[in-house]
Order: sequence, then C-alpha cells, then structure tokens
Amino acid sequence: MDYRAIREKRRPSTPKKCWHPRVPGANRRSRIPEILKRRSSWRWLAPGVLLCLVAPGLASAVLVTQYDDLTPGQMQSGTLLMRMQAGYQIATRMNTDIDLSVSGLVARVSVRQRFLNDGPEWVEGIYVFPLPDDAAVDRLRMHIGERFIEGEIREKEQARKEYEQAKTEGKKASLIEQQRANLFTTSVANIGPGEEITIEIEYLQNLKYDEGTFSLRFPLTMTPRFIPGDPLPSRKGSGWAPDTTRVSDASLITPPVVVDSDDHKVTLNANINAGVPLEIIASRYHPIDVQESTDGYTVSLMNETAPLDHDIELIWRPVPNAAPRTMVFSQTHKDTPYVLLMLLPPNESASNFVVMPRELIFVIDTSGSMHGTSIDQAKRALIMALDGLRPTDRFNVIQFNSITHSIFPRSVTADAGRLRTARSYVRSLKANGGTNMRPALEKALRATTFETHLRQVIFITDGSVGNEQELYKVIEQDLGRARLFTVGIGSAPNGWFMRKAAEAGRGTYSYISALHEIDEKMQRLIRKLERPQITDIEVQWADGLDPVVYPDTVPDLYAGEPIIVKARFENQPRPGDVAIISGDSAAGRWGGEISLAGVGDSAGIAALWARARIEKLLDDQRRGKGPDETRAAVVATALEHHLVSRFTSLVAVDKTPVRPLSTNLDKEQVPNLLPYGQSHQAIFGFPATATNAPSLRLTGIACLLAALLLMAVMRTGGLTREYSVSS
Amino acid sequence: MNTRLALKARASRIVVACLLCFGFWQFGQGAYIPAKAWVAQELMQRAWRRSENGEDRAAPWPWADTFPVARMSAKGGDIDLIVLEGGSGRTLAFAPGHLSASVLPGETGNTIIAGHRDTHFQFLQYMKKGESILIETPQGRKHLYQVTGIDVVDSRRGSLVLDTESPMLSLVTCYPFTASEAGGPMRFVVTAQMLF
Repeated sequence: MDYRAIREKRRPSTPKKCWHPRVPGANRRSRIPEILKRRSSWRWLAPGVLLCLVAPGLASAVLVTQYDDLTPGQMQSGTLLMRMQAGYQIATRMNTDIDLSVSGLVARVSVRQRFLNDGPEWVEGIYVFPLPDDAAVDRLRMHIGERFIEGEIREKEQARKEYEQAKTEGKKASLIEQQRANLFTTSVANIGPGEEITIEIEYLQNLKYDEGTFSLRFPLTMTPRFIPGDPLPSRKGSGWAPDTTRVSDASLITPPVVVDSDDHKVTLNANINAGVPLEIIASRYHPIDVQESTDGYTVSLMNETAPLDHDIELIWRPVPNAAPRTMVFSQTHKDTPYVLLMLLPPNESASNFVVMPRELIFVIDTSGSMHGTSIDQAKRALIMALDGLRPTDRFNVIQFNSITHSIFPRSVTADAGRLRTARSYVRSLKANGGTNMRPALEKALRATTFETHLRQVIFITDGSVGNEQELYKVIEQDLGRARLFTVGIGSAPNGWFMRKAAEAGRGTYSYISALHEIDEKMQRLIRKLERPQITDIEVQWADGLDPVVYPDTVPDLYAGEPIIVKARFENQPRPGDVAIISGDSAAGRWGGEISLAGVGDSAGIAALWARARIEKLLDDQRRGKGPDETRAAVVATALEHHLVSRFTSLVAVDKTPVRPLSTNLDKEQVPNLLPYGQSHQAIFGFPATATNAPSLRLTGIACLLAALLLMAVMRTGGLTREYSVSS
Repeated sequence: MNTRLALKARASRIVVACLLCFGFWQFGQGAYIPAKAWVAQELMQRAWRRSENGEDRAAPWPWADTFPVARMSAKGGDIDLIVLEGGSGRTLAFAPGHLSASVLPGETGNTIIAGHRDTHFQFLQYMKKGESILIETPQGRKHLYQVTGIDVVDSRRGSLVLDTESPMLSLVTCYPFTASEAGGPMRFVVTAQMLF
C-alpha cells in the first residue's frame, strides 16, 4: 500500500548568522585612511575623542544604578492594573492526551486532561479549553486512581448546583460546561495536595471532505478574544475581561494566558480506518509517525509530546480512483433510525463555465492578536489573492483593528496601477489594536453594489472575538447578493467563527496556519471563487420515512465539496428505499440516488444528528424565535442524546468526602498557552517601550575601547618590534 | 620574516580601523535615537501651536502617519511633551504614544500613554506619589492628574485596564530603566487620578 507521512519541522531553526572576515590583500594598503598612518596626530586625537564619548555613557550608568537601589520601597501591588495573578504561582498543572478513532465520516475522540496539584493546599482547578466547533460532547469520566466516576447529563443550573454542593461537602467532583460551540470549561473540585485527577471527555466530530481529501482539526489553545462593550457591575467568571453589555459572559471565555510552560503538553494517538486504500496520511503542523495496523493506520506525534500552542490537523487522501463518491451510515438509537448521507457531485469540466465579472472585497484583520506570524501569513495570502484577479474584476481592500480603513473609497477595476497600489498598501500593514469586526463587515457588505458584478467578500482573520452571535446576525442581515468567504489565520483561529460566518454568508471557509501552505490553500480558494456553484440542492426521501433532516435546506456547494445530510426517520427504511439528491450545475440539472436500506450500524450518527439539531435551534433563536421555546427544545434533545450544550452540562460526583472541612479550598484557573507565533504584548496592550540605544552605545563604547587597547599594544609591543627589525 | 611582521602590523591597523568605524557607527546610532526623539518633539511643539490655531489633526511633518492628541507637562514644567496617537514603534520613536484602544484624556476610563524608557519617559523613574501631571487637549482643555500609584508589572501576566469608573491616566514604560537590551517583559506603570 502506498502511503507516506509528510514530516515537517514546525519551528525550523534559523540559519546561524556567520560573518566571513575578508582578508585584505597587500595591494589594499592605500585604502587605509591617511589619519591612521600619521601617528603623531593620531596619538592625541583618538584618546581625546574616545574619552569625550565614553564619559557621559559611564556617568549615566552610575547615576541610574544608584536609582535602582531606591526602587523597591516605591513599589506596591497594583490593584487597578493587575486583574490577573501577578507573580502568583499556580499550583495546578495540566497535560492532555488525545485518543481518536476515525471510521467513515465520523471521528470519536477522547481527551484526557490530567490535573496535578503541586502545592500544599487543596485546590479547585478550572480550565477553559477549545474543542472542534461541531463537537458533540457526550461523555465525562473522572478518574481517581484506579476507579472512575461516570458523568451524568443535567440542565446547566442543576449540574452547577450538584457540583457546588459536592465541592462544599469536600467531595471530589467535576463539571463540563459549554461557553461557546467550540469553548468548554472543566471544573475539578477538591484536588488534594500532590494529587493527580484525570478528567476524560469524549466527543464525536464530523470529518471535512473537500477536493478528495479528508481532514480533522483539533484546536489546542485559544487566541485571546477581543471583548467589545461597556463593563457590567458583576462578573460570572474569573477571566481577565469583565462581562460587558455586548459579551455578557466575557469573564468566562477569557482565561489567563501564559507564554512559556513546562506543562501544557499533548500526546496524540489516532486510529484511522478510512475503509478505502489511502494515498497519503499527513499532519500539517506536527511531525507524525504512521504505522499500518490490522484495521487501518495508527498515527502518533513523532516527539511524543507537543506544546498545546498550535492546532493539530490530520489529513488523508484516498488513491484517486478509490475516492468515495457516495457514503451512507446509519444507527438505530432508542429504536429510532438515524442516517448520514454523503454524495459528491460530478466534476465540472473546465469548458462548462461562463466567466462572470466579479467584485472582490478583501477584508484583512490587523488587530493585535494577528501580530507576529499571523499577519505575515495574512499579508502573503492577500497578495496571492490579488495576483489571482482578472482585469474584468473590480476589487477593494479593507483593513480593520480598532478602526476600519479601506484603500479605495469604493471598489475599482483591477488594472496594473491599482494592483500595484494595493500590493504596497498590503505590504505596509501592521498589526495592533482591538478586533472591532462589526464596522468592517458592514463596510464590506453594505457598499454600493455593481449590478453586473458578483460580490465576493474574502474575510481574512483569526476570529478572536467574543461577540460571535452579534456578527452572524450582521452578516445575515446585510448579505444581500454578496457571498462571504472566511480564511482562518494563525496557530489557533476561532473555528466556530470561520464556519458559521461562512455559512451565514453563504460562502465557504478555509484555514491558513503556516506560511508553507498559503500557496495550496489560496489556489484552492481561488478555484472555489471562480467555478460555478451547485445550487438548489434537493433531497427526496422514500415515502413513509417522515424524515427530520439537517441541514434543512442544503447550502450551495463550491467546487470539490460534497453534500452531507443527517436525518432521523420515524420508521426503519424498507428494502428498496432510496434518497434522490439533485441540484443545478453549470452543465444543467443533475441527480444521484442512494440506497437507504441494509446499511450496517455505525455509532455516533444519532449524536451528530442531535448536535446538528441543537445548532439549528440556536440559529433559529438568533433569527427571532422565542428563547424559552428554544431552550426547551435544546434541553430535550441534549438530555435524550446525553449531550453537553448551551443549556446542559455533564457532572460527576464522588460519594465519599475526602477534604477535611476545616481546610480551605483554593480556586485556580489553569492558564492557556499563548498560540505559537503570537505576541502577548500586542494582544494585552503593552507596547514595546524601550529602544536599543543603550545597547548600541555600549557596543560602540566597547569597540572604541578595544581599538584604543589594540593601538596601545601596537605601540608598545608588536609595532616597535617591527620597526626595530626593519630598521 | 620582515614581510610577515609588516603584514601583521598592517592587519592590526585594519582591525583598529574597523573597530573604530564600527564603534563610531554604533555609537552614532545610539546617539541618533535620542536626537531624533528630541528633534521630533521640537517639530511637534510647532504642530501643536498650529492645531491650537484651529487646524484639525495637524501632522507634525508632511509624511507623518499620526497626529498630536495631547500635551503633557510634569515636574513643574521641566518635562513638556507632545503625545502622538498610537503605540507603534514608529510613533514611539518620536513621542510618547496614546494607545488607540484607550480613552482620550479627560474622558471616563483609563487613558494609556506609553513612552520609551530611555528617551521621553526616562523621567518616570523620578515620579513620586502625589505629584501632578498636567494634560492639555488639542481643544485647549486642561486636566490635572495626581499620581496615585507606581507599579512594576509583568506584561506577560497582566493586562492594562481600559474601563475605569473615573478618569484615570496610566503612563507606561519599560523596566528596568538600566537594562541595555530592549524587549524585556517588565513594565513600569505610573497611575494617576484626574482631579479636574
């Protein structure tokens, strides 16, 4: 079997700088300045000049040293400035192990978070962590030594109550709560001094299948979010941001951030059973080992552990003629049948499409969280997209951070001069300030349209915002005929924002998380932008099944994308029952048939259907459905399928109290690792406030002193000997 | 033998010449940074007078990508600085910068102004609690702030607060003042409360 693993180093060591001294030839002698040869004048000039230069430098150094002795008494602990643990050592350490098994189009993932209390006190550990944005979390296990306690699903408030009660009674307990579709919190109460508790969370996840390649992405940390709005008087959590009028739970989604850590390591063990022969298995950002096993392939990280500072993405591609064009999976859960269908529309031949003039609006995020490697990736991607423009296209470039600015007042034709202006504008972009995304979205979507042109908005960002729902609403309201495509940038982009914003904008999403993949990913995006979509997709089900289908209307498809639908039936499909899928393509109406009966049972389909249903219910609420009605429906679905949701949590409580009630319990929020390549200063508002002037002056003084010393040596030793020998 | 010694002497002279050139160059660079900071302040004092005369957002020099937002005086007038908008390295080379994310002086909230520890904000090390700082806005309004706190914070762990209930001022610079290398994580923060 033909497979190979792409092994790439994530952090290529920068080539060592070396300095090659040039040995001057004898004929170069005349180039030495005359002043150096005339010893009489030099003798007096050089030390004089040097003394003048050195003296002030030395004096200021002495002065400041004196001051330094005075400082400690002046200091006090900052209350206004420091809302985070200033110099306070967190005792709780955390590492993560990921185990996953893939079968067909579904991955079941087990995440084990190991909390170790290194301190002398009893602690409550709190950890805010990301999961894939479509994760259906259905299991919690708290491992204490050899035994474990299974978590129960409860309504959120009830779960919190049970947890708090166990906590005060001194019992071990843990709680998994959802803050965002892709952001969860683990709380673990009563971890004894020196004790380790493992929290095991399991979830199901859909695979992405695009242009013949399957992919699976695990977020491992989160980019600190921008929180707009005015602060509210009370706060719900202990994050670095206060709750605000626009993000009412900001303190729950802003965990502290550390830059370096000896902990925060991850191990990965994946079992991939694709069901078809594979051409390639690879990891985009981490080097991996691939072993062939009896039922597929086993993948692990080559370095055994990796820091939790960069998303992991695994990709695999079937050999070309084995790439599946249809797939169907089913599961019977509590006597009800559920199915998952996948159908890949036929490829368009290149002659089929009519080139339509387009208006491309590029929006680039230049906020502080993009500082570092992210902004480089974004700029390179944008320049590549500009290169892909056709002379008939119109375009504009908008950048946003705290403020929004566009290069042209309205979009212009893509002629050579304008493209040159745009390129130099993009090259000069710098990342700092807040992520004030809303005005940029509005500017891109509301600008006057050109009737003849199709508007496509390419939105390049890390999505580090806390007001996602507000933004989805803006997109849906202002979209009109335009289409929105998101490009997620950086080591840890907000995947939920990328997918849902593209969904609301009826476009598609992609990720760029390393410089080397810009080419491939941008070419793929440009193809999707150019080729015609498949529209008006319909699924017809056999009579008598009474299906509840998600998505209820299949969105338009871009080149290379499959149709994936999940359905629940009232009755078991009979032999001969089929689903007929059809759609409009550039070549005309097209259709395909999938047989529904006689498919073996595969786990997880029901939970993923329920997860899709919950997402749909919450989307409906954003579009105006009553909150009580939504809540009741979400709770019913989540309880039936044992899923964590916005309104339900998993809670596990041990029976026997372990903490003596006379001792205190410290609350500790375990920090997240800052995503690879990002700058803490750029995000948290501390600018760089030192110049290298002192070090330049020091180097200068050192060189001048060395020259002085060498001259003295030449005069007393080496040179006199030369003169005595030659005379 | 002769030629070898002569060559050696020549090589030594070249090394001396190189060291001198490099030394002067580095020292010159080191001197250029404070010189630029000083000259820019002079130019900006003029731009300030222009904006006082009603010119909106007068740029201190034609190609400037920023504009003065405040004039700050402390230490009984010995320190008189123009503050530019933005906290980028380009801005801070010329003047202390007002961080765009924070409120303007006089408004409710925390006004954050950052400056280089080795040029404009060198004087922060001599500030004491209770001293006053006068801030003048381009509209001619004057606000008096009184220093209420001096802290050293680790920028990797802390975050500056933007929203406060009363008008506050935070002056931020790098710490320690003696360090010769730029880019350290510690910050020296002078916090002041607005009196009027």
